[in-house]
Amino acid sequence: MSAALDVAETALRAAAGDEADVFVQSERSGLARFASSRLHQPTLVEDVVVTLRVVRDGRVGVAVSNRTTDDGLRELAARAIDAADSAPIDEEFPGLAEPAPLPAVRGPDPETVELGPREQAELADAAIAAAGDTPAYGFFTSGSTDVAVASTTGSRTQQTTTDATVLVLAAGEGFSGFATQTSSKVAGIDVRGCAAEAAEKAARTRGAAGIEPGIYRAVLEPYALAELLQYFAYDTFGAYGLLEERSFFSGRIGEQVFDEKVSIADDALDSAGLPRAFDFEGSPKQRVALVEDGIARGVVWDRRAAKRAGGDARGTGHAPPVVLQSYGPLPFALTMRGGEAESVDELAEAVGEGIYVTRLHYLGVVHPREGVVTGMTRDGTFRIRGGRVAEPLVNLRFTVAVPRLLGDVPALSRAVTLVNGSDFYGDRFAYGVRAPAIATAHFNVTGVGSSPGV
Amino acid sequence: MEAARAAGAEYADARAVLRREQSVATKNGRVDSLSDVESEGIGVRVLVGGAWGFACDRRLTSEGARAAALHACEFALASGRGSVHRRLAEVEPQRATYRTAYEIDPFSVSIGDKIDICLRAEAGLARPEVKVAGAFARAVRENKLLVTSEGAEVEQELLECGAGIDATAVADGVTQIRSYPSAHSGSSAQAGWEYVLGLGLDQEAPRVGEQAAALLQAPECGADVMDIVIDAEQMQLQVHESVGHPTELDRVLGSEAAYAGTSFLKPTDLGALRYGSALMNITADSTTPEGLGTFGFDDEGVPAAPQPIVREGVLVGWIGSREVGFPGSMRADGWSRMPLVRMTNLHLEPGEGTLEELIDGVRDGLYLETNKSWSIDDKRLNFQFGTQAAWEIRDGKLGRLVRDATYTGITPEFWSSLDGVAGRDAWRLQGLTNCGKGQPGQSAHVSHGAAPARFRGVQVGVHA
Repeated sequence: MSAALDVAETALRAAAGDEADVFVQSERSGLARFASSRLHQPTLVEDVVVTLRVVRDGRVGVAVSNRTTDDGLRELAARAIDAADSAPIDEEFPGLAEPAPLPAVRGPDPETVELGPREQAELADAAIAAAGDTPAYGFFTSGSTDVAVASTTGSRTQQTTTDATVLVLAAGEGFSGFATQTSSKVAGIDVRGCAAEAAEKAARTRGAAGIEPGIYRAVLEPYALAELLQYFAYDTFGAYGLLEERSFFSGRIGEQVFDEKVSIADDALDSAGLPRAFDFEGSPKQRVALVEDGIARGVVWDRRAAKRAGGDARGTGHAPPVVLQSYGPLPFALTMRGGEAESVDELAEAVGEGIYVTRLHYLGVVHPREGVVTGMTRDGTFRIRGGRVAEPLVNLRFTVAVPRLLGDVPALSRAVTLVNGSDFYGDRFAYGVRAPAIATAHFNVTGVGSSPGV
Repeated sequence: MEAARAAGAEYADARAVLRREQSVATKNGRVDSLSDVESEGIGVRVLVGGAWGFACDRRLTSEGARAAALHACEFALASGRGSVHRRLAEVEPQRATYRTAYEIDPFSVSIGDKIDICLRAEAGLARPEVKVAGAFARAVRENKLLVTSEGAEVEQELLECGAGIDATAVADGVTQIRSYPSAHSGSSAQAGWEYVLGLGLDQEAPRVGEQAAALLQAPECGADVMDIVIDAEQMQLQVHESVGHPTELDRVLGSEAAYAGTSFLKPTDLGALRYGSALMNITADSTTPEGLGTFGFDDEGVPAAPQPIVREGVLVGWIGSREVGFPGSMRADGWSRMPLVRMTNLHLEPGEGTLEELIDGVRDGLYLETNKSWSIDDKRLNFQFGTQAAWEIRDGKLGRLVRDATYTGITPEFWSSLDGVAGRDAWRLQGLTNCGKGQPGQSAHVSHGAAPARFRGVQVGVHA
């Protein structure tokens, strides 16, 4: 039995006599952060967080603690019971999840589990060295997370996941390039190659010029498209967005909403991503088709949202952490199907005249229902002239309706890249988007910013 | 401290933290979420051979403290390649205590009473057009003890409370939101439950619901260059994004380049750079009553104090730390994160007059209220903000309500167009809890005070 499942069962016993479920997350991680080619903020984290949900006569109470002693778990149960006794009957509570067969997913990577501070610092150092003379900023991180669910309905589930990410900004005054790689195993990322990519990109951004605002054809690298998709997903691809009519999909399910080259799913079972077998209440993860050949197919659900919707709605294994229940079910394993272009150079050819975007910065959702997002390009923006990537551009402000950007897609790259989406706030939850590079006919530049670089 | 010193640390600090947060959210007459989260542990930061290391342990025991210290030293030693001598600014080691002043302990208020407040407030939002009526309340208590190898020993208890309401109206394919007292999870303060009771959520709710419904019928904000008047709440975010972050000295020096970004400011700009018009006066103040960034001592043990940042439009101060030579603004998000340079409370000082007088000085313009969206570039120059509501101004009078208003600008140009700040009576303090920075990420709780302000010749109505 895993340590997390052991804690979960002990917590369940502490809530004796009540319906209850427990989610336990045990984290061991290290992040070696660097700036100006020196490690400056290395952080090691070890924690075990226990979330106990108690149900008493239809009233639901939740308490969380990281004290896993017998006394700590008894106090946790007392707080959860007190919360349940104070709450009105929860009409939307669908009951605790029943045990269900779980899909098989790849297990943790032993090499990643074993990484300690020395190895994490060495991998960060390797990235710094590979950036050569270009000052490097970024981090290497790896983590091992053991999660478990136990419930009075008989659920006993456990999974250990591993993740590793390297991120490099190679930059000086007036020039910068960016690259990042993430994987469920440390051998799946090439820290030196990542740094070299960032440094090579940086060298091409010196002498960046401005550009007139307007609508351009554009190539977006996977880094940029992945972030745009994740922001669009918050309102559009979750059940609450649909039910509360914040979603672009509201009233459009079954309609052609994007270019027919666009197919998007949420697939936590994909071995090329960061696989997970179950959600935060132990329900099995399912692959959910969100967009097929440009047609809106659906959104992700948990059992609570399904009960609210009624009818044929069913959970798809997307229950959020109970303390974040207000956000509803959201997709954190987005994957977009690739196309036929063998390289970004082919995408530039498809664009002809336009701009090339490596990475985005500080996105904001302007109008959720219309899928309008604003932000800046950063660390590798170029003009495309005559079908080739040409001179560097300054950082550009864009304000785009994502449906328009995805509505006219001349080409997609065949290669699909897993892009880390987590900034590692709070308890470790590694996630990413698998995205191709995209050529689009509609990228709305609404302003110009500063030169690249630091 | 003993374990760190024995492992070779030339400097070390340790923070033992106990934190409890209770939150209640209701939606459409039902409890949407309910949580009671406790977390405790110790974080140890060390300097070994000029390299920093940080590690933490959830056990508040001697064994946990020693393990954290040794792991921190291990990480510092492994990180030492290319390290440089780091000199920390001298500060007198403090031995003191500090506690938030409050009247009503929020943890003495039952969860049931917290739910009732939310449900009562939410009921006032109800209108046929309001699809989602939501209310939210929270309370946090953080106890922390800081000790340093230089002899500081500081014990603090910080208490926060907050609440808010949102109405989302929907009709004919249009969705609009209106919030009070602030968007994005209401407003919080370092205070007791009396702060939540004083917000008057149920009194404000009918106006909020009515305005959300009215926005459905309002015309879209057109694109133009015009004079604008911005309410206190949006001004607080404007200060946060375009003054707070760029004046964090660690950003200026590049420490945040890979994530939050850097700054358009340079160290040599201090005392010389014209940030805005002569009406622009910005102060960082970790002593502000009820501020979320208020403390007795920061997470390096430096006593709280006000710090002028901009005076009459000129940059005169930084937000900093001992390492960067401007001590007083180091804060960590709980026990499992390393302290970073963070905003505390950052205010636009009040000017003179009223909101009505500011509006009276506009012939053809826009009055904007309550943040809806925000984005700014990595050097904090090019920004674009959207607000939940806006009203046309014609010949000094408020006119039609318009929806989906946005405005955009370049930081120093924008602040140079400032030509009016309302007076002390219109000045409001509000706290936000989602200021992100650092890798791994940390959320800081900060407050901003501002009064409505007027800017000339601003681009509004940016569309996709």
